[in-house]
Amino acid sequence: MSRLGPAVASAFHVAAGELGMCSAAWLFVREVAAEGGEPLVSELRDLLGRAYPVLDAVAGRWLEGSREPKVGPDSVLAACEGASRLLVVGIEAMFLDALLPKLGQTRATLLAHSSFPVDWERVVANHERRLETVELSSLHRLAGRRSALLTFLYGTRGESTWVDPAWLRVMGADVRTQFRSIVGWDVLGSVMYLYPRWLSEAPASDFSHLVRA
Amino acid sequence: MGPPLLLASILALTVVAQALLPSYRLLLTLGGAALSCAVAALTGVGTTRAIFADVPWDVMILLVGLGFLAELLVATRVFGVIAAAVTRWSRGEPRRVLVLFAVAMYAVSGLVNNLTALLLVLPILLILLKLLGVGQRYLAWTLGVLLVACNLGGAATPIGDFPAILLLGRRVMTFQGYLWAAAPPTVVALAALLVVVMVRVRPERGLVREPVATRLSLAVMGALYRKVRLSWRLFLPTAACLLAMLGAWVWVPPSSGVGPELIGWLGVGLALAVLPRTGERVIRAKMDVEAVLFLLSLFVMVSAVRQSGVFDSIGRGLTSLPVPSVIQLVLFLLLAGILTGLFSAGPSMAALLDVAASLAARLSPTAVYVGLALSVCAGSSLFLTAATSGPMTQILTERADLRDPLGAPVRFGFFDFLPVGLLSFALIQTVAIVYALLLVAGSLF
Repeated sequence: MSRLGPAVASAFHVAAGELGMCSAAWLFVREVAAEGGEPLVSELRDLLGRAYPVLDAVAGRWLEGSREPKVGPDSVLAACEGASRLLVVGIEAMFLDALLPKLGQTRATLLAHSSFPVDWERVVANHERRLETVELSSLHRLAGRRSALLTFLYGTRGESTWVDPAWLRVMGADVRTQFRSIVGWDVLGSVMYLYPRWLSEAPASDFSHLVRA
Repeated sequence: MGPPLLLASILALTVVAQALLPSYRLLLTLGGAALSCAVAALTGVGTTRAIFADVPWDVMILLVGLGFLAELLVATRVFGVIAAAVTRWSRGEPRRVLVLFAVAMYAVSGLVNNLTALLLVLPILLILLKLLGVGQRYLAWTLGVLLVACNLGGAATPIGDFPAILLLGRRVMTFQGYLWAAAPPTVVALAALLVVVMVRVRPERGLVREPVATRLSLAVMGALYRKVRLSWRLFLPTAACLLAMLGAWVWVPPSSGVGPELIGWLGVGLALAVLPRTGERVIRAKMDVEAVLFLLSLFVMVSAVRQSGVFDSIGRGLTSLPVPSVIQLVLFLLLAGILTGLFSAGPSMAALLDVAASLAARLSPTAVYVGLALSVCAGSSLFLTAATSGPMTQILTERADLRDPLGAPVRFGFFDFLPVGLLSFALIQTVAIVYALLLVAGSLF
């Protein structure tokens, strides 16, 4: 009998919404491994992998021996150099925790738009005075030659990459010219082998900088 | 039909209609108030100016001011920090979750109004319950006890909920007089409820607990609140102003001419002024207009009925019943509890306070007024619809889309709450009556 009850699925859904798919996946894999080792990680992968392909990929990396994600934000900082404002599309708590304290004078703003239920006030409260939110309708106010746009990627394959669906609401031919740099931060660092549910495909050419974890 | 009966009928019908059609509450009460003014003016009972002059504006000022203060406290994130700490202390164990969240809700409700307290604490509990995956029985009892704890906390302090604020604003009780008299019985009632629920009901019975699920739940909660800290910049001035207000409420004598409403106004005004950006935002965007208009309409209707002499007649009728005064008090408290259960606290308290005055003239005023506040609290706990926080809990729970460990949806509706409501009503009403009788007996000796 499985030691992972059905409630684990709804727990992951909550975590994925507010922490981000990749951050939630690493959290779950780490906690499950601490409780039951690799056999329980395999069980978690079997139970939730199809519904959450990012979790499947992270569990796969854990089983291959990787124990933590690479969250070094230096390449992202380099890609955003010269920007006084950074607009972030999508949430990845582990990566934002690493990036935001190093932004210096650059003001970071998070797009408050998600297909998951999110308490945006709580998200911002985790980044005291370093992060604010913006609605989709007010996005144009943040554009400018000193503004950079950042989103998280979940693997790239050839000319394709997978992003938070909110990215498709933001990105367009007119947007490309309104930001000094458009940065894609590949937080997964591997390719998903399952149907990328919850994510959308976007061309890698959307981005002026592709940063790989 | 004479004017007194006509005005009383308008009040009664409006109260019933708003209870039956809560989605039209404001329209109905504002309409009822306008009709009351029209009838009073046309029948010579009193002009609209006279009726409005009788509205307890000091109570309204206190309500609005305390609402602003609650919003400032929300901005400090103090309640989120408390709720996250309670989650850690609970260790994800169902029994501890129920008890700790009930106690936390009781404490928070003593400082801010029930609805705000609920909106602050409930979402965090709902996330925890969602992560843990709980059954229908456990959910119903946990949320039910939480609602009752919210009502008890509101009744424990003079600034916790409308009935107590009304007593303070009308100056029928002092701040410290109410606090010392009302807090102990609410603690007793909460303790009694928790003991009965934990020992007899045992809502966690039948729940299947998996250590992995508990571990994951706590890990996720920890991650959601990983860096949420108290905003000292907002908290210190707000807490300082609150403490100053509490001190003034206790020590400034009514004979000075500075009443509780003025202390509230000045104190909250100072807190808002010290934090000008947050203060202006709170004033512009956070005032609970719905609550203010609802209560204003009730006060207008009650004022019209009062001017027609109906409450005096009811008071005389109650005090002339051929039974001892203490039995009259018991009947009055039972009536207050049941009326509140049917029509909610605002209308009941606004109407019954005038009747209480006739009893308070012959018995210990503290016994009558604290007994009334506790009975209103009992009534608020009887049905899910008796207090605004009930339907709000139902809505938030539905939105949370909770599921049991087998994936079946779990709900929190009127009938799910009913067993908790009946038990709570019986316990709190008993405490109210016994406590009031003890106070009466104490005042006699």
